[in-house]
Amino acid sequence: MARVSESVKNSEVSEVQEKSVPFDLDSGVLLFPVRHHSPVCSYQLIKTIELYKPEIILIEGPENANSIIPALTHPDTVLPVAFYYFYKDTGKLVSEEAEDYKCYYPFIYSSPEYNAVKEAEKLGIPAKFIDLPYCDILINTSENSGLRKKADRHSYADDSHIVGGKFHSAVCEKTGVRNFDEFWEKYFEIAGLELSPEEFVHRMHTYCIITREMTSSEELIADGTVAREDFMASNIKKFSEEYKKILVVTGGFHSYGIYERLSRKKLKAPRTHKIPEKKQGCYPMAYSYPSADALRGYASGMNFPYFCDCITKSLQNGTEPCEVYNEQSLDFLVRTAKRSSKKNIPVSTADVISAKSLMTGLSALRNCRQCGTFELFDGVTSAFIKGEKTVSSSIPLDILAGLASGDGAGKIGDKSHIPPLVADFENLCTKYKLKYQSASEEIVEIPLFTKPKSTELSRFMHRMDFLGTAFGRMTKGPDLHRNTDRNRVREEWKYRRSPQVDSALIDHTTDGFTIEEACREHAGKILTEKRRCEDASYIAVECFLMGIPLSDEQKILIDRITAEDGDFFSVGRGLKQFEMLCRLKKLYQSKDSSPEKYLERCFSKLVSAIPSMANVPEEKADECSEIIRSAYSTVQDILTDWIEPFRSSLETLVSSPEKEPSVYGVCTGLLYAMDSDWREQAETAVKGYLNGSPETKKKGAGFLKGLFSSARDIVLNDDSFLNMIDSLITSLEYDDFMEILPSLRLAFSYFTPNEIQTTAEKVSKIYSSDGNILREDAVDESLFLFGESLDRKIVNILNNKYK
Amino acid sequence: MNENLIKPPVEIRYADELSALRESDTGKKPENWVLSPKAVRTFILGGKVKTKDGTVEISKKFYGNDALVERCIITLAGNRGLMLVGEPGTAKTMLSELLSAGCCGTSTVTVQGTAGTTEDMIKYSWNYALLLSKGPCREALVPSPLLIGMEKGVFARFEEITRTPAEIQDSLISVMSDQILNIPELGDDGIVFARPGFNIIGTANTRDKGVNEMSGALKRRFNFETVEPVKDVRLEKEIIIREAKNLAKVGHIDMPIDEDSAEILAVTYHELREGITAEGTMVEKPSAVMSTAEAVSVFYQTISHAWYYGDGKTDLSVMTENLLGAVCKESMDDLQKLKLYFNTAVKQKSKKAGGKIWQEYLKASKILK
Repeated sequence: MARVSESVKNSEVSEVQEKSVPFDLDSGVLLFPVRHHSPVCSYQLIKTIELYKPEIILIEGPENANSIIPALTHPDTVLPVAFYYFYKDTGKLVSEEAEDYKCYYPFIYSSPEYNAVKEAEKLGIPAKFIDLPYCDILINTSENSGLRKKADRHSYADDSHIVGGKFHSAVCEKTGVRNFDEFWEKYFEIAGLELSPEEFVHRMHTYCIITREMTSSEELIADGTVAREDFMASNIKKFSEEYKKILVVTGGFHSYGIYERLSRKKLKAPRTHKIPEKKQGCYPMAYSYPSADALRGYASGMNFPYFCDCITKSLQNGTEPCEVYNEQSLDFLVRTAKRSSKKNIPVSTADVISAKSLMTGLSALRNCRQCGTFELFDGVTSAFIKGEKTVSSSIPLDILAGLASGDGAGKIGDKSHIPPLVADFENLCTKYKLKYQSASEEIVEIPLFTKPKSTELSRFMHRMDFLGTAFGRMTKGPDLHRNTDRNRVREEWKYRRSPQVDSALIDHTTDGFTIEEACREHAGKILTEKRRCEDASYIAVECFLMGIPLSDEQKILIDRITAEDGDFFSVGRGLKQFEMLCRLKKLYQSKDSSPEKYLERCFSKLVSAIPSMANVPEEKADECSEIIRSAYSTVQDILTDWIEPFRSSLETLVSSPEKEPSVYGVCTGLLYAMDSDWREQAETAVKGYLNGSPETKKKGAGFLKGLFSSARDIVLNDDSFLNMIDSLITSLEYDDFMEILPSLRLAFSYFTPNEIQTTAEKVSKIYSSDGNILREDAVDESLFLFGESLDRKIVNILNNKYK
Repeated sequence: MNENLIKPPVEIRYADELSALRESDTGKKPENWVLSPKAVRTFILGGKVKTKDGTVEISKKFYGNDALVERCIITLAGNRGLMLVGEPGTAKTMLSELLSAGCCGTSTVTVQGTAGTTEDMIKYSWNYALLLSKGPCREALVPSPLLIGMEKGVFARFEEITRTPAEIQDSLISVMSDQILNIPELGDDGIVFARPGFNIIGTANTRDKGVNEMSGALKRRFNFETVEPVKDVRLEKEIIIREAKNLAKVGHIDMPIDEDSAEILAVTYHELREGITAEGTMVEKPSAVMSTAEAVSVFYQTISHAWYYGDGKTDLSVMTENLLGAVCKESMDDLQKLKLYFNTAVKQKSKKAGGKIWQEYLKASKILK
């Protein structure tokens, strides 16, 4: 850091300035440095193109996207658009993990790269990408570096070298600005508009060369910069044999590296790999302004992309460069005031005037030639926020941030470049009247079982979900996986087309040409990878929801997985899912008979495994009990032929010498439900716990819990059971009672409110109470709802923390 | 003069710096300002200026948010008042003094808002002896700081404005919107027009929010700036040390400042204020004000104790006692929260490498009963 500070103090800067990249309009190759999404770079680039009159424009970008450049310049294309690159490293060229990689190269109207291809088109000259193909960039990048950093989303146009270099913090300190963005806006975006292209390029090169000096050669090798610059330089040399005037548009950080390589006599380009089309590709896709915003953490250019676009468009419409920021910031200020007023935040014209005057004053105080976004935000902060600045009073700032960031989504005009699955997605969205071009979240309500089109829409949403597109999330409706809300006849989905939708669909391109085909293929692939009955049943439920009939091959696979799975719990979970499918077949009008087959397969396995569950570990006892109860429910009305083997299986478990109390209770209860003669044995069991040691008594609560979960009427028929429970409780020490209290509470939770009332009245009679103690004031509904929401939040936090 | 005052006003305390700034200032000044906005910025945020006697270092006096200071300066150059709001102890008053001294050369034209503030105190009152003998005339008029500010074209500071009843606050509205104060008793001579350079800087404590809520009409005449507590522990430590040194100098206490103790105090205040420790442990926030100003006060008390009663070395038990007094003011629950902080956060820090001083701090917590 000391070195950085020193350099800022001009000791090294002068040395660095000796290194320069010439701006010679007569030379064969002219290097133009840019920052992604920068309006001033676009503005100066267009001016440079006018002056230089190139024969070809070469742009930094993976060369395997050259074929889709027309999609970018198509008249019907609406930005933001991104090029989506993917690479499946099945050949382990990148690492032994054989991972899948993907990245985005977003374009907005202020992107210099976009303006470069657009200008080339106007001039009728070629524009080409010259960087290594995406897979080769990855191959030449070390782990956790460059495009191989661990991140949710990768941007090809990552300018972290200029933005996050060691140099920038020293520069900010020296120039008295808050952060790099303010520095950049003041000294490049605003001041740069009034410079000649030569002066501007010189300023860019100076800054970028210093940041480059601050980056070690090890870092440059690790993040792939060296390999990429070698490749780009060799490409430029190759083109220079054919063209006499070449304009090269690259990130400012690379300019000096390329320039230095071009001056070498020999240049060795890195070897590229031939990768089959299925493993590597590039597609244009609709992008959105929020996704293109560097503030979202994607390190791909500037903050507030929509503001940048407004600057660029305003310049292109003839606004004077020395006024464009003042005009646009005033425009955004007025829009913020209007939108605030719509949200009932009082913002008067006087406030707007005050904010504008403040912005002008601040830009003068800061020696900034025009009011930029920082002055705009400062003006709104001071003049629009009345009172203490808090989350609620800062709404005008949020509105401004939203406006400046933009909320629109792009569109690919040239349909021939749209990947088939994305095209199918768009067609289906149009068919179902879904607002897929909106960048904000929309809601659709789907009545199930009424119209065929509604069913189709529901299936479409489930298919999109299955493909991992995150297009929609069901907020209301039957959840068949969890077996909850099955009585609902409507689904409510919230949906939004984010870049993830397109990228996920593109990832599945190899699975099929329609979403239906892709789902079928994807389901098949999952089944071939899975070995557990519960996973197979999950896929079966998914296919059921998606309305995709299982192929014969898939049916055989599920049958085989179910037959081979030896895990009681996995089979039990599978049984519950298959049971549900059998029950819902009629409602969902499914004619597939395979669920019954899988159900029977699961059931037969469970029946033979139940006796071995007598000594199941305590932490698994609840799930085991639930599975046994599900099996009973199945045998009641679906697999009625299996009742005897099931009974015999339970009897075997009950007769085991060592038994887990709650499982023992469940089995005893079920046997009582099948044959009331078992009541006596149930009483004996309770007495056994009652007369045992203190430890045994404690286990009695677990037994009761199991018993009541399967046969609660045993308590309601006469009072003997209640008396026994009373004896159990009264004989316990206080601490022991507190220990078993949760189990007892759980045991009584199986009763209906009416049954609890009846039981409570019986208990009050035992103690000759007048019954008044039974009545408490009803819990306030709002309190109950609060408790419920609190509960949900806690569960979510715990789930997130311990998942 | 400086030596004989407990707390000299800013314009006296930093007279040399202001003089150097005046000499070197070539920027454009709003009418009646003694310095240009750029020079005021340098006065508050620090820098270097060149005078005929050489380069003068201007000290940084306000930390944490430079953009806020810039906004304040520009607001004051406009036609709206400036209202500084924030938690107690966030240097709102100091900032308003600095702004007044920097822009107008005086920071003493001040109204202190209290529950007992009346309209007379804001506008004007009378010298009743003169009033009875000469009738209503300028001689008998006792101008309020606001009136002085209007007549001289300097800032009037209104401290703790929300402690003042709302109807009294509203007497500012006509002054701020028309820049006129009407004194009907003086007849035709009773209209006082504000001279250029006049403005109002108000301060309001967010803990008083809702006590006397400002009217919408008055709010509209101010630009609001929220002054937040210092977010950086290192900066907070620096402020504690610097302010304690200043106070020690005024109190003629001549002993070295123990920076480790200052750091411990800064960390304690910071973590209790934020409700989370550097290690990520959640701690309960006390209801008491955990401001940097409070930390300075605790630290200065500790130094004073060491100077007068001790051996000139900072004693962590004394610091903990002072901390207890500062934290447990409003609720006894705060004592439990403080104890919990020691039992979790301080204990955790004491187990780390280099945690010796934290071990001593933990031992000192035995007095928390």
